[in-house]
Amino acid sequence: MTNYINLEASKHQMKLVMMGADVKQIYSKLCYVRFDLDRCRVSYVYNINKSNRYFLERIKPYPLPYRDFNNEEDIINEINFDIKQFQNAELSQNIYKFIQINKNIHNLMKEFEDLFLYYNVPKEKFAYLLDELSQISDMIKKVQNNSDKIFFESEP
Amino acid sequence: MITAILIFIVTYIFIITEKINRTVITLFAAIVMIVIHIIDEESAIKAIDFNTIGLLVGMMIIVNILKRTGVFQFIAIKAAKYAKGDPWKIILFFSVITALSSAFLDNVTTILLIAPVTFVITDTLKINPIPFLTTEILAANIGGTATLIGDPPNIMIGGKTDLGFLDFITNLGPVIIVIFIITLFILKLLYRKSLKVEKENKLKIMDFDESKTIKDKPLLIKSLIVLGITIIGFTIHEIPFINVETSIVALLGASLLLLISKVDVEEILLEIEWPTIFFFIGLFIIVGGLEQQQIIHKLAHNLFTFTKGNMLFTALVILWLSALASSFLDNIPFVSVMIPLIKNFPEYGGNMGIDITPLWWALALGACLGGNGTLIGASSNVIVSGLLEKNGNKLSFLKYMKIGFPLMIVSVVISMIYLVIFYL
Repeated sequence: MTNYINLEASKHQMKLVMMGADVKQIYSKLCYVRFDLDRCRVSYVYNINKSNRYFLERIKPYPLPYRDFNNEEDIINEINFDIKQFQNAELSQNIYKFIQINKNIHNLMKEFEDLFLYYNVPKEKFAYLLDELSQISDMIKKVQNNSDKIFFESEP
Repeated sequence: MITAILIFIVTYIFIITEKINRTVITLFAAIVMIVIHIIDEESAIKAIDFNTIGLLVGMMIIVNILKRTGVFQFIAIKAAKYAKGDPWKIILFFSVITALSSAFLDNVTTILLIAPVTFVITDTLKINPIPFLTTEILAANIGGTATLIGDPPNIMIGGKTDLGFLDFITNLGPVIIVIFIITLFILKLLYRKSLKVEKENKLKIMDFDESKTIKDKPLLIKSLIVLGITIIGFTIHEIPFINVETSIVALLGASLLLLISKVDVEEILLEIEWPTIFFFIGLFIIVGGLEQQQIIHKLAHNLFTFTKGNMLFTALVILWLSALASSFLDNIPFVSVMIPLIKNFPEYGGNMGIDITPLWWALALGACLGGNGTLIGASSNVIVSGLLEKNGNKLSFLKYMKIGFPLMIVSVVISMIYLVIFYL
């Protein structure tokens, strides 16, 4: 298996280098983390390497890339806070609605990227899109201001 | 004695069937042999051929550092561009690179270096990679036969005899060149009709920039200098002034390169094929147990009674037996049993002063070339078939055997003629 991984890595590296990339392969451990909560499953993926840069990403119930961290303790703390937030969010009657909205936002980002990469969009449409986004953002803030903050383990 | 034979047979069955990892079962069997006093602890340690182990570890360290430089990709791309994208010329150049590299590096390592480039080239040419990789595994096994360090059977033979690097290259090199040329000629006849590519894809190969593959020029220079010194060391290790084992030469090269290259030693040591090293250690102890129980002695007696101690007949039996066995079985355990067996030959040849060197060449040629016979004959074959399958190009056992087995027979016939003319 190690031979296969090394060979695939060499093949990928060569193809990417020929495409003009600078490729650096580093030894790391990829960690998949899964929490089965009562009403949903929360999972993360992160890597540990010697260069002290850890990339954490939540993959379930909806994908969310976090920043990269400089030490492994920060990752554990981040996951710890995140799980506590989810445990609390589970108490809400609206948890599935929240998750669904988040999934839709994620899909929206993908659709927007397609628009950016594959279409020649007229200038005026950008203003329209920005305005719509701004309205959604205002709406979220308004809902935040009108709702009780119920869990303070970490600041949003 | 019966327990020792049973342990050996059961271990061998597991190695062949791959039901249990070969390193795990071999180490377990070796330790069981010590626990039940088939071999005592001191003899078990003595049975381990540290020259073979040191040579393997030393060369693995050198190669692991060398491959980081990208030099193999550089040479391969240069060759593909020199061939102007012509598939047969690429096969020819790649197989020459493979055979030459394999003569000085481990076969598996050579395949792991050339296969990624081959996949990239065949992806670009939009052509089936099977003819390319089949030729490369044949070339790796043939090239590895030419030197003491090219293939584990030769390393093991070198470790247990006084035969040095120069002995191997001067005695096996000429016949290997002949076998290699004839094999390529036959492969060209076989593949000539299937190697057709679009002109535009050939042009894509010319767009490759080989200079991008060299990642660390100072490391490349240091690595090539140390590899050169190591190869020179192999050629002169036996002269009285130096007189050190090949393992010392390899470990000197490895430690020197670690010292001057500033690479991360942990990463380099992680890439050593420790399962292979422990497999060897386990095997040496098991064979040591068989020797201590006089089983090897009895096997030798039976073999040489069959051949009546006749050198010519014995050499041919060893050559063909090793070739056929190595086609279907792992040649490392086979050779580990054959070495002490051959060492017993003078006793049965009726002449204690008889020169048994031709028997070593017969074993080396048979065991190394036999690996070409089937897809399971050598580790590099197994790796390539796995890679082809994962990349959507299945190379079945029979499909490979239709090409590999006749070519193996041709190579053994050439070896037989060579041995008869020059040694027997």
